[in-house]
Amino acid sequence: MSALLEIAGLGAGYGEAPVLFDVGLEVRAGEIVTLVGSNGAGKTTLLRAISRTVDSTGTLRFDGRPLGGLTPEQVFDLGLVQVPEGRQLFDRMSVEDNLRMGAYRRRDAAGVREAFDRVYRLFPVLRERRAQLAGSMSGGEQQMCAIARALMAAPRLLLVDEMSLGLAPVVVDQLLEVLAEIRRQGITVLLVEQDVFAAFSVADRGYVMETGRIVREGAVADLRSDPEVRKAYLGVH
Amino acid sequence: MALLAQIVVNGVLLGGLYGLMGLGMGLVWGVLNIVNLAHGALIMLGGYAVYYLYTGAGVDPFAALPLAMLAMFALGYALQRWLLGLVIRSAQLNTLLVTFGLDVLLSYLAQLAFSADLRTINPPYAGSNFALGPVTVPLAPLAAFGVALLLAAGLQAFLVRSRTGRAIRATAQNLTAARLHGVNPKRVYALTFGLGAALAGAAGGLYGVVSQLTPYVGVTLTARSFVVAILGGLDNPLGVIAGGVVLGVAEAATALYLDPTYVNVISFGMLVVVLVLRPSRIFERA
Ligand SMILES: Nc1ncnc2c1ncn2[C@@H]1O[C@H](COP(=O)(O)OP(=O)(O)O)[C@@H](O)[C@H]1O
Ligand SMILES: [Mg+2]
Repeated sequence: MSALLEIAGLGAGYGEAPVLFDVGLEVRAGEIVTLVGSNGAGKTTLLRAISRTVDSTGTLRFDGRPLGGLTPEQVFDLGLVQVPEGRQLFDRMSVEDNLRMGAYRRRDAAGVREAFDRVYRLFPVLRERRAQLAGSMSGGEQQMCAIARALMAAPRLLLVDEMSLGLAPVVVDQLLEVLAEIRRQGITVLLVEQDVFAAFSVADRGYVMETGRIVREGAVADLRSDPEVRKAYLGVH
Repeated sequence: MALLAQIVVNGVLLGGLYGLMGLGMGLVWGVLNIVNLAHGALIMLGGYAVYYLYTGAGVDPFAALPLAMLAMFALGYALQRWLLGLVIRSAQLNTLLVTFGLDVLLSYLAQLAFSADLRTINPPYAGSNFALGPVTVPLAPLAAFGVALLLAAGLQAFLVRSRTGRAIRATAQNLTAARLHGVNPKRVYALTFGLGAALAGAAGGLYGVVSQLTPYVGVTLTARSFVVAILGGLDNPLGVIAGGVVLGVAEAATALYLDPTYVNVISFGMLVVVLVLRPSRIFERA
């Protein structure tokens, strides 16, 4: 099976300061892949390179197509949609308006209505709160709104950054369940996480990033039993 | 008592127009974080556009408003896309300097093109009025007030209901997220500045009917627009009209009880008061 997202020899950074070095990563259609690593490793920077909000060198292809020369809007139109770190909702807009912004570039009214139905079925609480200001909801509900907003764009690959940050474990479990359901609906997922336990519970394969380099990769089952990974990320000795 | 009522009527009607001036300034300020010191100059240009459409082509000033707005929209869009857009991400001082320079340039060009003479747009109904109990209601200012309200309500509906209006609000609230969802901020900023200029153009045409135009009228109108935008808040168009009414009534009362020559001092005085009382309004945006 060929990769949906293909990254090889990728370098990126901010101005003069390099952050990523020779990063290689693949996501195949239908997978949930996780990228884990501690704070400052460069995970968010990799997502920014994918969505073309920072420049990069090396290979970056989606569905066989190089992303190098594209604008963020063009990448978005290919179906690469991000759920950004820290939710980044439109706080002073209603939940419904946030979701509409997810569908901003869609012109198929019927498809958008269908998408509303789908995300409301996935997150019934958002339907209840659709008239409420997004910024006034709890952290968990805001994360749901951020995921729902991304789903409104009909993504082919969903890039989720630090979904669990600041959320209670029971809420995290609920969101992980939703990611599994999203994948069953045919959307591929790349999940960036510091919470390795949570990430491994839902992913098929994983990559471990340290100071801008991929240091481990493999099936989640193998990573779980890797002594280095156990020691550094799972707190097991 | 009748005199006071008359002052309130005059002040409210002129104030609606000030509200319209503040609306364009507040929109650009809220979305682009630019305090546009050339806003008054754009109002002035809109005024001359309507003046020449009326005197040169015989178009009724109110019918000329949409044309002036269209032309000013195009000018505003181009200014943002190819001039202000180049400095928008730099320090606020730079945008202040550029818009200040633009104000000087536009006033100077206007003086060359239109001469320094006072101009009034003077349609046949300009002096008409009707009695309402003890007060006289002047027709043209009443119509100007109506247009201001209409445009404010229209802007409100556009921002709340339309797809582009939503993108404008989204960009103002969270630029990163807007970009991540496929909004092109350059286009949104140019559209917003164009809208601000179009509103300025309408205000200018109406101002030419109820008052007088000179190439230098922009400076005091920028100050008024600024005060009104702060009084009214940056995210509620009808609130901005109310802010304009406050300034209009204050000016009318000053003209009567103090001296008409103090009128221009009022907006600067209120500017100081507003800066002291509502600094958060200003600095949360800066
Ligand atoms: N906007 C930025 N400008 C400059 N440096 C940045 C920026 N964002 C992140 N960095 C730096 O890049 C490195 C990687 O950060 P990041 O990609 O956010 O890591 P992670 O998401 O894994 O926590 C860090 O050293 C961070 O300080
Ligand atoms: Mg991060």
